Amino acid sequence: MSGATAPAVAFFALAALAPVVVRDAFLLDGLVLILLWGSVAAAWNVAGGYAGQVSLGHSVFFGLGAYSAALLGTRWGLSPWIGLAVGAVLAIAVGFVIGFLSNRLRGPYFVLATIAFSQVLLIVASRWRAFTSGSEGIAVPFRPGFWTLGIADKRVWVYLILALAVGVYLVQLYLERSRRGYQLAAVREDEDAALSLGVPARRLKVAAIAVSAALTAACGALWAQYVGFVDPFYVFSVDLSVRFALGAVLGGIGTALGPFVGAALVTTLETYLRARFGGIGAGLVGIYLIIYGVALIAIVRFAPQGLVPWLGARWRRPAAGTAR
Amino acid sequence: MQVIPQLLVSTILLGGIYALIAVGLTLIFGVMRVVNFAHGEFLMLGMYLAFWAFALLHLDPYATLVLALPVVFAAGWASYRLVMRPVIHASHNVQVFTTVGLSIALQNLALVLWTADSHFVRTSYYAVVVRLGPAVLNLAQAAAFAVAVLATAALFAFMRWSYTGKVMRATAQDRQAASLMGIDTGRVFALTWAVGVTCVGVAGILLAPIYPVYPTVGLQFVLIAYVTVVLGGLGEMAGAVVASLIVAAVEVIGSYTVGTAWKEALYLVLFIAILLLRPAGLFGQRGAETVGA
Repeated sequence: MSGATAPAVAFFALAALAPVVVRDAFLLDGLVLILLWGSVAAAWNVAGGYAGQVSLGHSVFFGLGAYSAALLGTRWGLSPWIGLAVGAVLAIAVGFVIGFLSNRLRGPYFVLATIAFSQVLLIVASRWRAFTSGSEGIAVPFRPGFWTLGIADKRVWVYLILALAVGVYLVQLYLERSRRGYQLAAVREDEDAALSLGVPARRLKVAAIAVSAALTAACGALWAQYVGFVDPFYVFSVDLSVRFALGAVLGGIGTALGPFVGAALVTTLETYLRARFGGIGAGLVGIYLIIYGVALIAIVRFAPQGLVPWLGARWRRPAAGTAR
Repeated sequence: MQVIPQLLVSTILLGGIYALIAVGLTLIFGVMRVVNFAHGEFLMLGMYLAFWAFALLHLDPYATLVLALPVVFAAGWASYRLVMRPVIHASHNVQVFTTVGLSIALQNLALVLWTADSHFVRTSYYAVVVRLGPAVLNLAQAAAFAVAVLATAALFAFMRWSYTGKVMRATAQDRQAASLMGIDTGRVFALTWAVGVTCVGVAGILLAPIYPVYPTVGLQFVLIAYVTVVLGGLGEMAGAVVASLIVAAVEVIGSYTVGTAWKEALYLVLFIAILLLRPAGLFGQRGAETVGA
């Protein structure tokens, strides 16, 4: 967990320069999605990586953000920014409950609890027809303007989501460099030892989960506005939660840049296969998930720290591989 | 009050099948301390096996069941050797992601090979209904229940009286002591995984004549299995059977009173309530959940 920020600066600078050079809407769309899924994976990483609270129910926060923005917009004509704030507050509330659970449950028990939460919200969103329009989902109307986030220009979206991504990255950087971050690492590595040194372990874990929840909800709200449609079976799915975790684990769990790199790999291959096979063999799109399923198994077995630290180790000590 | 016998019959039939899915999951956890997040995918593969045997070879699912038993067991053993063995002593998180990776890969393999369409095993008897006093029951469901109970009973007998079963229980109690007594724990883990997979594979074959099969079908059943095994106490096989009946009762009574649309919410809320109030489950050791063991 080194503090080297140069690769991250390069990564974000490249993303910032891309819209200047690239005009192709398809590529810009890909970039927005890479930054967005990277941000969610990084938000997941705050709880799953830095606090060590692995959740497979983070879609609950994403869905709360998406639904808040969509519902407040369609029902009361409110700005998605207000929806984003409301979604974040709701996510923090649910995050507190899940955080409370994290103090009682460890390992697989906690994972199962988080899945259960996302499933409850899925059922509420898909069955409470009168309020959420049920399983049909919600089409988010396009209202031009920044306050209503009706933005047609994909370049603007790149910068908007880039700002979000940098924001989440800075939160992670804070966790790597601050006193609280070190305390959290201590709790993750050995909670009893941390407690005996006077570290407020429980409060830190709950706070990390709440922050992670709020950031994930913010991503969900912006995603709903960008994509324009909220489907309960997608936003609250276990698959989506797994996707968040997948990005972080592949790229490097508990590293600040890792989730962005992991999400970029996942999103790029997915987008490519969709464009390649989308029309003729829609089922073939599933190939990318087979690849990532296998990659996940391989990564946790051979390079459990993830790709970014693995590459970093090879970059800094190129001879280390051959010396052995 | 006319409905009470019917609700009772439905609960028992459903509970029997849930029990077979849940004992496989809880057995693997009890011995290996691994929650198998790919459990539902093995169920799905069992259902597809029954479907393809029926569609291509015109084999009745119950004939498939007998013929496929060694195949399912071998597939379980192979998946252990390939995927689980390298991480058996790794951290919980590594194991969680390994089984999640296996789940994603298997689910999407089915999607790519067999598309997302639902398939049905339309046996000649799929709609035959039997009257049993004041209640009625579907023949396929009754048969599935009978076989599931037999299989579960066989597993219990195996664990209780066979030497191998005793070895597995010894490993569950204390793997270090077991290996000091000369038990090859690596083989026990492989066997446990294969037996657990066989249970859920058999359950899949039994479910094929009742429910349609599609790549993500495992999720709905495995969610119920998670609720069941935690309610019964993770690793407790008898607890899992009792919990299966409780969960089935919640589902059956829930469908009757609040409607099928909200029945899943009922057992999930029950699940969260158990996790909050008594995470060790009804029959589990108190405190197991906080050491994560």
